[in-house]
Amino acid sequence: MTSAPPPDAEPPPLEELAQRRATARELSGTEAIAKWHALGRLTARERIEAFLDPGSFQEFGRLAGHGEYDDRGRLRRFTPANCVMGRGEGAGRPLMIVADDYTIRGGSSEAAVAEKWIYAERMAREFRLPLVRFVDSAGGSVRLLEKAGHTKIPGYPLWPSTALMSEVPVASVAFGACAGLAAVRVIGAHFSVMVKHQAQVFAAGPPVVKQGLGREVDKETLGGYQTCTRVSGIVNNAAEDERDALAQVRRFLSYLPGNAWELPARVATGDDAERADAALDTLIPQDARKIYPARRIAETVCDRGSLFEIAPDYGASLRTVLARLDGHAVGLMYNDPAVMGGALTQAAARKLERFVDLCDSFHLPVVNLVDQPGVMIGAEAEAAGTIAAAARAAAAIEQASVPWIAVVLRRAFGVAGSMLGPWQGPSGTSLNHRFAWPSARWGSIPIEGGVAAAYRREIEAAADPAARREELEAYYRRLASPFRTAEAFGVVDIIRPSETRALLCRWVRDAYRLMTTQTLGPKRRGMR
Amino acid sequence: MTTRLLSPVTGVVWKLSAQPGTTLMTDDEVLVLESMKMEIPVTAPHAGRLARLHVAEGEAVNEGQLLAEIVSENG
Repeated sequence: MTSAPPPDAEPPPLEELAQRRATARELSGTEAIAKWHALGRLTARERIEAFLDPGSFQEFGRLAGHGEYDDRGRLRRFTPANCVMGRGEGAGRPLMIVADDYTIRGGSSEAAVAEKWIYAERMAREFRLPLVRFVDSAGGSVRLLEKAGHTKIPGYPLWPSTALMSEVPVASVAFGACAGLAAVRVIGAHFSVMVKHQAQVFAAGPPVVKQGLGREVDKETLGGYQTCTRVSGIVNNAAEDERDALAQVRRFLSYLPGNAWELPARVATGDDAERADAALDTLIPQDARKIYPARRIAETVCDRGSLFEIAPDYGASLRTVLARLDGHAVGLMYNDPAVMGGALTQAAARKLERFVDLCDSFHLPVVNLVDQPGVMIGAEAEAAGTIAAAARAAAAIEQASVPWIAVVLRRAFGVAGSMLGPWQGPSGTSLNHRFAWPSARWGSIPIEGGVAAAYRREIEAAADPAARREELEAYYRRLASPFRTAEAFGVVDIIRPSETRALLCRWVRDAYRLMTTQTLGPKRRGMR
Repeated sequence: MTTRLLSPVTGVVWKLSAQPGTTLMTDDEVLVLESMKMEIPVTAPHAGRLARLHVAEGEAVNEGQLLAEIVSENG
C-alpha cells in the first residue's frame, strides 16, 4: 500500500478483494500453521495443491468466514471458514474437492459456514463431477451453542450424501481424528483411506466413551487403522503418510468414469492382449490341499502393473482389485487360499457385496477368478451371521447388470460356489458366462466329508472301512472331473491357464462395446 | 525383539516344521495349519530363532491364538 486511506473511507474494491483473498490464503495464520507443520501435517491448501494437477484449482467460497467489525462498521479481523473447496483437475478429470482446515476450530463442520462444504457436495451432484473429501474434523462443540443461542435437531437438510453415492465417484481421506459426522463423511464414499498413526475414525472418541461407558480406551484402539481397515473394515485402505493417501485416491479415481452416465476411459498400457504366460499352466499345485500365490495369477492375467487393491487387510480371503485388461478398466475379484483357505467369511461377503455395487454403479465389467471352498463354517462364523452376509452378497451379484465373466481356477463349492456371477441378472438375460481351468472341481458338497456322510453305514460295515472310504472317494473324484461337466455344457469351456488373458481381453472389448449401446445412469436396485 | 506368531485362522495344527532353537530365515515355514481342508503355512516374518512353540500337532487353534515366538538375532 502506498498511502493509508482516510479513516472512514472504504479501500478501493479491487484492493479490498486482494486483501481479503490474502487473509483467506493465510488460513489460521502463520503461527498456527507453523505448529501444524511441526506435527508433520500439510494444511488444507497444501493437501489440495499436492492432489490436483498444477494450476487447476478454481476455488469457491474463498471469502467466506467470520468478520469482526468495529463500532463504525470497519473490518478489524477476519477468520476464514474452516474448509477450503472448489473445482479442480486430478487423475486427468475435472472434480470437486472439499478440505477441512483443522487449524481453525478443529475443522468442525458446524463451527463456520456449513453451507460451504455442503455447496461443494451439491455442486458435485449437479455437475456430475467426482467428489473428493479431505476430512480432518473434530465434530461439534458445546461452545457453538453459546454463539447460536439455541440447539438444533441434528442434520443437514441440503446434504445429498446418499444420492451422490449412486451418481458420482466419491473418495475420502481421513487425515486426523474423525468423529460422528466426520466419520460418516469418510465412510460414505466409494473409496476411503486413512493415514496410519495420524487418523482415527469412530462414532465417538475417548472422552465421550469415558463419559458414557466409564471406560478408558485410547483413540487408536477405538478408531485407528488397525481397527478400521482390518477388524471392522469401515475404512478401505491405510496409507503410510499424507502423500501416500493422496496418491491412492488419484489411483482409485483413474479407473472410474466421471459419473454414472459415463463409461470408464480406456488407458492404453502397451501390454500385449494375446500375451500367454506359460508359467500360469503350472502355478496351481496338483495336491488340492496346497496353496499357491493367487496375487501372481492376477498380475499375470491383467495388464502389467495395473492392479490396485481395495481393502487389502479386511476379509482378505477375497481380494477386490481394480485392474486393466487391454487398457479397459475392470473390477477383479479372486479368492486367496492363503487366507482362511479362501473361504467366504462374513467380512469377505460384506466386501464382495460392496465391491459388486461399486462395479455395477460405475460400469466396471467384473472378472471373477474363483477358488471358493464355501461359506466359512464354525461357531464364530455362525455368530457373526456369515450365511446372511453371503446371501446379501449373492443378491448383489444377481442385481448386477454390468458385463460379467467367471473363471473357476480350482474350487467352487456350496452356496458360495454358486456365486460365480448373475444367473439371470436384472434383465433376465445374463448368461452366467463361465469358464474353468483343468484344475477346477465343484459341487454342492465336497467329495471328502460328503462320501463319509452319505455312505456312513456301508463304510462302517466294511472289513477295512478306511480302504472302502478311499475307494468310494476315488470313484466320486473321477465323477467330479470338470471334463464331465463340460460334456454336459455345465461350463462354457475349459481353457489352459495361459489362455486366460487372451480370453478376458477379447471379452472386455465386447463388454465395453456392449455398454456403449446401453442407456447409462444410476442403477435402481430393489431390497436385498 | 520377540515376535509373537498368531494363528491367522481357526483350524488344526497339521504339522510342526521347525523345533524350538531352530534358526529361521525370513519366510521359513514354522508350522502348517489345516483349515477349510487347506494346508496353510505359517512363516517367519523376519530372521531369528524359534524361541517357543505354544501348540502341538493335532491341536485345535482359534483365530488370533498364540502359536510361537521368534526372537530376532540382532535384538
